[in-house]
Amino acid sequence: MNVSEPMLPPVRGLIDREGRLVEADKRLHELNARAGGGVGQPIAIPQVATLARLAQRLGILVSRGVVAADGDDDVELWVRAEPDARGVRLMITGWRTRAAWYPEATQGERDGDFLRSAGDWSWETDSALRITFLSINAGAKFGFDSAAMLGQPLTKLFALGEDREGAFPILGGLAMHQSFDDQRATIRATGRAVRLSAAPRTDASGAFAGFVGATHMIEDEAPAVAPPPEVPREGVSEAFALRLDRALRTPLGRIIANADSINAQSEGPLRQDYAEYAADIASAGRHLMGLVDDLVDLQAIERPDFAVAKEPVDLADVARRAAGLLAVRASEAQVWIDKPAPQDVLPAIGEFRRALQVLVNLIGNAVRYSPAEGMVWIRAEREDGIAAIIVADQGKGIAPADHERIFEKFERVDPREPGGSGLGLYIARRLARAMGGDVTVDSAPGQGARFVFTLPYGE
Amino acid sequence: MSSHDGDMDDGTHWGVSKLLSRAAAADVRADHRLAVAVDDFFLPEDARLDERLRVALGGTLGALVAVVESTVRRHAMRLLATREAADLSAELDAGTPVYGRLASAGLLRDTELMRELVGRARQDVLADALPVDAPEDPDRASLLARLIQHPDGVVSSAAMAMLAAESRRRGEVEGVPTRTDLPAELHHRLVWWVAAALRERVAEPAETLPALDRALVEAALRSVAAHDEGDRLEAAAMRLAAALDAHADELAPLLVETIADRRPALFAALIAHALGIEHRDAREILLDPAADRLWLVLRALEVDRASIARIGLALSEADPRRDIDSFAEALDDIAATPAPDARAALAPLLLHPDYRSALLALARGGHA
Repeated sequence: MNVSEPMLPPVRGLIDREGRLVEADKRLHELNARAGGGVGQPIAIPQVATLARLAQRLGILVSRGVVAADGDDDVELWVRAEPDARGVRLMITGWRTRAAWYPEATQGERDGDFLRSAGDWSWETDSALRITFLSINAGAKFGFDSAAMLGQPLTKLFALGEDREGAFPILGGLAMHQSFDDQRATIRATGRAVRLSAAPRTDASGAFAGFVGATHMIEDEAPAVAPPPEVPREGVSEAFALRLDRALRTPLGRIIANADSINAQSEGPLRQDYAEYAADIASAGRHLMGLVDDLVDLQAIERPDFAVAKEPVDLADVARRAAGLLAVRASEAQVWIDKPAPQDVLPAIGEFRRALQVLVNLIGNAVRYSPAEGMVWIRAEREDGIAAIIVADQGKGIAPADHERIFEKFERVDPREPGGSGLGLYIARRLARAMGGDVTVDSAPGQGARFVFTLPYGE
Repeated sequence: MSSHDGDMDDGTHWGVSKLLSRAAAADVRADHRLAVAVDDFFLPEDARLDERLRVALGGTLGALVAVVESTVRRHAMRLLATREAADLSAELDAGTPVYGRLASAGLLRDTELMRELVGRARQDVLADALPVDAPEDPDRASLLARLIQHPDGVVSSAAMAMLAAESRRRGEVEGVPTRTDLPAELHHRLVWWVAAALRERVAEPAETLPALDRALVEAALRSVAAHDEGDRLEAAAMRLAAALDAHADELAPLLVETIADRRPALFAALIAHALGIEHRDAREILLDPAADRLWLVLRALEVDRASIARIGLALSEADPRRDIDSFAEALDDIAATPAPDARAALAPLLLHPDYRSALLALARGGHA
């Protein structure tokens, strides 16, 4: 299933009382044109014409899934046809392309049937997750009152737990209206451990109408309760960071990938503003992904046993690599990066990966706060026993009063700027200090910022 | 029925004559099969059971007979065991299920039983086929879940009983029936048939038969006494409809939502309660693909055009035999029918049910 499709904004159109398509968004217009029609002429997609006519005659909203031919392919549309004074308003979502031989779309129902036959007993809910059906023998067999659970929230019957990877599959299923599997839970009345799986039921316009679910009894296993809470430390607990990482990284990755592919219009042309929405979704997704990365790092560096390797590194080389990683972002922002010359060498002692992370953060900030056509300088210098990389930009600079604040947790160089978790500089400085060095700033408003990353010099 | 007499031949040429007679019998069988096929082909399409319904009906009937059989047999066996008739008890346990015997004896062709079961199977198929309709607000609970939270305890307990009855009925469809869920009279009939068929199974000397009869009668009476027809889905739906006692202006949205929630049993109960007819009759009106009576009923209850359109649309999506185009064509006329006219046209429906069935039976028999 393509998770991005429900996110696409609906395509609209208007069919007048004589059956002519008089208004159409680009996508509908193009589909109609490929079927041989045009604006002001009778709509050329027969299934949509029938639906519109029916809605008009009945005088009520009619929703239906239709399959229309589009070149050599079929395209699955969810069409809502609603009569009004001017004719019939169309709202179309879906637009799933499929091979012409694909069987009729009753996938949800079929999934439900498979589920029911696989589980020990089954249940169903409405869209508000109220239980509307329960295998009636299940209660007597497994020790709860089936009848009393009907009409109640699903969570009254089950205490949901996280799965082995710390995730709640049902949340993903609910958010994306998808099937889910392996949702750990216990029956509240007895504490018996179960595993839940379910398929969504959707109506003709693709809207979520509830779950058809199965319960698998888990034999001889301790109840799937959450692990005992750890002694709280300052910051983020390890378990939380781990969960956050796993629960968010995969869905975010999918959201970003799908939004990117919509933005790239790889599956056909799109109205420009829709393509731009997709770009916004992708960038918001990347922002969240960065936040997840930062939180996971934060958790790591705040552990009492956090340690970094002390090995010889060439800091000039690290700076060139970091600049290379940011080259695309810089060129999109029309910012030039002046990196250390290829022959420059700056031996230091630290951990390559962590040093790279610090520099990516510093250079990334510099790019973010640079004006268009601006320049970011990266210089490698040695002072006594210290190896230093200096990252300077032409941004608006940082007032001396803020020089310490920006290194604190959840603080940002400029709180008015979008993006950034407020953790980057905090993490960079903690990492640098763990390697025996530091990150400092030297800047004044209007003069750009100058960050210095130091490590012990390595002979 | 085909003849197998040829199989008895044991002469010297047994192989040849057996083949010949088998071929002759096959001829008869083929002729018989063709006759059935011809009959089947010329059955009017609108009255014929489709494949899905046949399967549903077969499953329900088989399951109901099986659940009655197992209840009666087990109790009779226990009685026999305590009365030191263990042999009889063992014999009762063996043997093929009684379903085949009841079917071949023609007992299961009982009109009343089949009317109930066909109606039930059609109602289940309709519930399954009705289009899923997601609410505008996904956080709003569905109709019955909301009614369970109703401040009026009578409504909330009736709603809960209805959901429970539906879950039980669905369990039966899924192959694990716990009770027949039949009207009392039909349940009783089925119990006695099963008891009689169980008796036939036992080929014991005549002197043991009174003990067997006593045990079977006691077991059957126990099953009859334990049956509560108030637990039936249809009865629960009627109780909920009575508890709601919807006014004319509440009824239309309630009917529309009942269909959107895919609960035809409740839909039938709502119109049955509003008209003062039996659930069985209301269900028949709902399930009739030529829905003229349904439109009259809805008009008699002063349901508005848009609501009738929504109900008609959902029913057409569920049942390919219903013609949405002619419905759309007729909708203006339906909506224009004055409620008193519709009520007058439905008058025969409101007569005493026994009187109506007597009239129908007379009509079936033709003129004297």
